Amino acid sequence: MTLLAVENLHVEVDGKPILNGLSLAVPAGQVHAVMGPNGSGKSTFANVLAGRPDYTVTAGSVAMDGEQLLDLAPEERARKGLFLAFQYPVEIPGVSNMEFLKAATDAQAKAAGQQAPSAVEFIGRARQAAADLRLSADFLKRGVNEGFSGGEKKRNEILQLLLLRPRLAILDETDSGLDIDALKVVAAGINAFRAAHNAVVLVTHYQRLLDHVVPDRIHVLAGGGIVRSGDKSLAHALEAKGYGWLDS
Amino acid sequence: MAGSTAEATALARRLSERGEDAARYAPWFDRGRCREALAGNGLPRFHAEAWRHTNPRPWYAAALGANGGGADVRVQAPPGVDVATFDEPRAADLFARHSGDILDPAEHPLAAVNGLLLGAGVVVHAPAGLQAATPVRIDGLGAAFQHVLVVAQPGAALTVLETPSAFAHRVVECVVAAGARLTHLRRQDASGGCECSLVAATVAEGGRYELAQLSKGAALRRNDLVARIDGPNAGAHIRAAWRLDDGHLDNQVRISHAEGGGTSRQTYRGVAGGRSRAVLNGAIHIAPGADGSDASLTAKNLLTSATAQVFAKPALEINASDVKCAHGATVGALDEEAVLYLRSRGIGESDARDLLVRAFLAEAIVDEEGARSLGLSG
Repeated sequence: MTLLAVENLHVEVDGKPILNGLSLAVPAGQVHAVMGPNGSGKSTFANVLAGRPDYTVTAGSVAMDGEQLLDLAPEERARKGLFLAFQYPVEIPGVSNMEFLKAATDAQAKAAGQQAPSAVEFIGRARQAAADLRLSADFLKRGVNEGFSGGEKKRNEILQLLLLRPRLAILDETDSGLDIDALKVVAAGINAFRAAHNAVVLVTHYQRLLDHVVPDRIHVLAGGGIVRSGDKSLAHALEAKGYGWLDS
Repeated sequence: MAGSTAEATALARRLSERGEDAARYAPWFDRGRCREALAGNGLPRFHAEAWRHTNPRPWYAAALGANGGGADVRVQAPPGVDVATFDEPRAADLFARHSGDILDPAEHPLAAVNGLLLGAGVVVHAPAGLQAATPVRIDGLGAAFQHVLVVAQPGAALTVLETPSAFAHRVVECVVAAGARLTHLRRQDASGGCECSLVAATVAEGGRYELAQLSKGAALRRNDLVARIDGPNAGAHIRAAWRLDDGHLDNQVRISHAEGGGTSRQTYRGVAGGRSRAVLNGAIHIAPGADGSDASLTAKNLLTSATAQVFAKPALEINASDVKCAHGATVGALDEEAVLYLRSRGIGESDARDLLVRAFLAEAIVDEEGARSLGLSG
């Protein structure tokens, strides 16, 4: 069953076309990687899915579980199970990480007509997830991403992923800025999240994350569209030959 | 009198005609110097230095229409704290002994008007060493013109809470004796009326005065505050937060270090939206010879609409050489990237903005009940 269906997506920023007819289908239970050189439109693609307002969709459609996404506000998409791990997570001084995580969990539970977890239960869950990501419990008390290192911010994105348990996770360059140990921790978090009922789209420039999170499919984005798709061996070919290889 | 408008002239006439009947309430109250002050300086005009961004005219109109009130005094106090209304005999004695020189009607013409039209007054007295178990609550004094004198005797610890209530003008004098601690909580609700007030505090050696004032907008709301550090190790911490969806708020604060070795902090956080207008003048004055004074002021303002206005001006007057003084004022907007981040996690847009506003104001808010009074969830 197709969880994410993107068809003929055209997107502009300030009148400049960035995506030119991108199509992609991701079935439930799979991890797809979207790779491409700088400027190919990878981050635009990730942000358009999440509903960032700076982009104009001029044609095409995006459906999650058969439901059209593009007319929905960012929070409505999140409540339907879409999650974007930000390439540059935002610092929010004065709002504690725990407060933020609980507010997000409660908002999503409410939208789903479910009972929100009790504070005690939630704190237990958050502490466990933090420990799994080798983040000290102090991180939950600190302001959201406030003063976090680059790697800590990325791990905090995965912490949110584990607590919010979305249906579709889009990870925008989550591997950038991570040393090898942090990369393994983040990869373990993503692998723990993987399940038959959800799907992951990894947006990345490099192949190295894919050594730890093995994708079912790899798509190469160039010039605003998918120019090639294949299995995991495609990543190694790209790593060996560079993106220029695709033009030849 | 040199009032520039018909309202000011009419108010001045009413004040001069009041004569003897005014003295029926608390006849011992010194109205002579109020009258002299107004005769000398008149009522302030719009655009005069202290009224640069606030037009007092609607207040004059409201003050003219205000009645004397029926003295419905609603004050609750914990055991050990004496509360005496101005028509009780001992109030005159307490007032004579403790009301100080900081309240100068010549510098505060609206307080002079208050003195002449005074309709209700109360003295709150905490004897030496008393550790008050619960706050003194001032829920209303039932007159348009009001005067509150709070005395914390040496070593006493007291909290005074002013809940929202209507008045034309309220004076709150705070006398913090040596080693005493007074926590002063003020809450001001959104109002279509004109409400002005003056807080005048003095802090003796080793004493501490802490103000936490939370305001919503009114048609015209003006809060004057003067505080004076009168001895070494005396401290004053002024926290004021406001959240205006509408209306006008003018905070005028001046902290004087009359003696050296004291500390003062001023922390302001304001959010202005809609068509509101927020004014802040925060001044630090260090008297000659007040060496070892340590004073700071920070004011951060957030504009949440294109039509709101903020005028924030810190001022320093330093007449001593060995002092620590710092100040800063900023005006900005909500971080839209942070709003998007919160929304992308399923938090609705208005909740996301509320969360960010609350975080912004947090430094100036000391309690959850206060946070709720600004419409912020706990």
